[in-house]
Amino acid sequence: MSLKIDHKKLIMRIPGTGNFITLDNEKCTLCGRCLIICVMNLWKKSDDRVHLVDDYASHCLECGACYQVCESGAIDFRYPAGGTGIVYAKG
Amino acid sequence: MENYDVIVVGAGPGGSIAARESAKKGLKTIFFERGRKPGEKNSSGCGLGPRMWRDFDFMTELTPEDCPSLRPGAAARNYLVNNDGEVSGYLMTKPTDSVTYEPARSWITMNCYRSEFDPWLAKYATDAGAVLKTSTLVTGLLKENGKVSGVIDEKGNKYSGLVIGADGAISMVARESGLRQRWEQEQVTIVPQYDFECPPSKIDDVMGDEALAVWWSATFPAAYQVFFNDGFHIGLGNWMTWWEKNPMHYLNQVVALKYFQRQIRILEAKPREFQVHLLPWQGQPHDTHADNVILIGDAGGFPCPLEAEGIYPAMVTARAAIETAVEAISAADVSKEFLNLYDAKWRATSVGEEFKTGPELASIWKALPFSPLKTMSWFVPMLMEIIGGIFDWSEPHAVRVRQIARRVKQYLPNAIPFIMREVIPLLTAILGEENMNLLTDPEKLIAAMPELEEAIARSFVENDMEEK
Repeated sequence: MSLKIDHKKLIMRIPGTGNFITLDNEKCTLCGRCLIICVMNLWKKSDDRVHLVDDYASHCLECGACYQVCESGAIDFRYPAGGTGIVYAKG
Repeated sequence: MENYDVIVVGAGPGGSIAARESAKKGLKTIFFERGRKPGEKNSSGCGLGPRMWRDFDFMTELTPEDCPSLRPGAAARNYLVNNDGEVSGYLMTKPTDSVTYEPARSWITMNCYRSEFDPWLAKYATDAGAVLKTSTLVTGLLKENGKVSGVIDEKGNKYSGLVIGADGAISMVARESGLRQRWEQEQVTIVPQYDFECPPSKIDDVMGDEALAVWWSATFPAAYQVFFNDGFHIGLGNWMTWWEKNPMHYLNQVVALKYFQRQIRILEAKPREFQVHLLPWQGQPHDTHADNVILIGDAGGFPCPLEAEGIYPAMVTARAAIETAVEAISAADVSKEFLNLYDAKWRATSVGEEFKTGPELASIWKALPFSPLKTMSWFVPMLMEIIGGIFDWSEPHAVRVRQIARRVKQYLPNAIPFIMREVIPLLTAILGEENMNLLTDPEKLIAAMPELEEAIARSFVENDMEEK
């Protein structure tokens, strides 16, 4: 029997408040890089418009990949408040 | 406003060494960690190399009591995964006779989780007198007359001093000081990894003294596996825009390998945690400092250009940064011009030595394990013909040798340009042009290659009947 892993269940986090990722649709070129790169699939595209899922802050692993690949500068990323967010116990 | 001599943003291995060295030099030092404790936000392969023990004397004090996950290993295994997604062979290696540094003959890496190692390291900084502020995000840089004078945290507290950016791949210090908004897409990788738990006795019985494994593949970018006391990491990475599908597609391909599934069963391994991080991986660090700002470790782009080891370069550049800071502070000159001294200092270290051949090392890695379809798709079967083709009882051995040679010949149109474009420049960078010319002149080799190919073709043509 082959083992299939649901990686989204293998994370631990401390809830926080406040936005730490923002998208400026005016700057977005719909290149689709953020959709490919996010390992948690937090970016979606519908009707030729990219958006970040509403509850991204309870899933984001804070890698910053979306910010890094967005060369048009549409995505801004800052870390969530100190002491909140992803916790890696076995990193 | 709190006044310090040195402010370190980040309490990973680079940040903690910077804070420690700074405090030991008598400088008033503070370092910040956004997690509740150092190491809580980090994901890493985390193999500590023997040279850390040579270059940092306190490393000898690291024990399993401090880091229960600690596991030294002497061997590395290289799996070769073919175009059909099957393990077509593997090679286990141990330190060779040419290794001169004694501890490195007994173990190649000491593996442990960052959640244990980073707090252990940070204690050396606080013991030396540095102030550690945890659960605190540094959100910006203070500026006076357009020049950086310190930092501000999320609560609005202000701190003045020379700023060391030890805040990783997505560095606020780099962004706010104008050194870098983001990396070029081929200067940084994304690395997802699973942590599996398994009984320590199973790892000892099944893996023996193996510290790590690399899964070289024609179907996914090279994956790495690192064994800890009671578990292991399996992860892979590639440049940001080199993914045709989501990175998870490729990581799950590794996990789905029949061979890997068998290993999971034998080790009684269970998935325990999922992690992802960005890892700078480039041929040459640049823009490492600005007025009153120095970047170290991942923030400065210092992971090894060949295999992206990050902890040791972070610790070495931290030391170079503080040596620079001491001179800058005593000269009362923290200008970018004065801090050029930092580049001279890190270039004089073993990290600088690594980057002397950095562009060539990064290039060969890019061309080989990070190009599964383009390169590994012929490299793996070619290597397996050579190392695996002889033990076969289908034909007389001489016939087999000819069959293997003919097959290898098919790969030459791929292999020769690869050798010319990647291997020769790397050897030239390592040996120097003069020595390389003694060994071989690339131009002469290129000129001779068609003749060599023709000679190989002719010598086997009469035996083509052996191909069924």
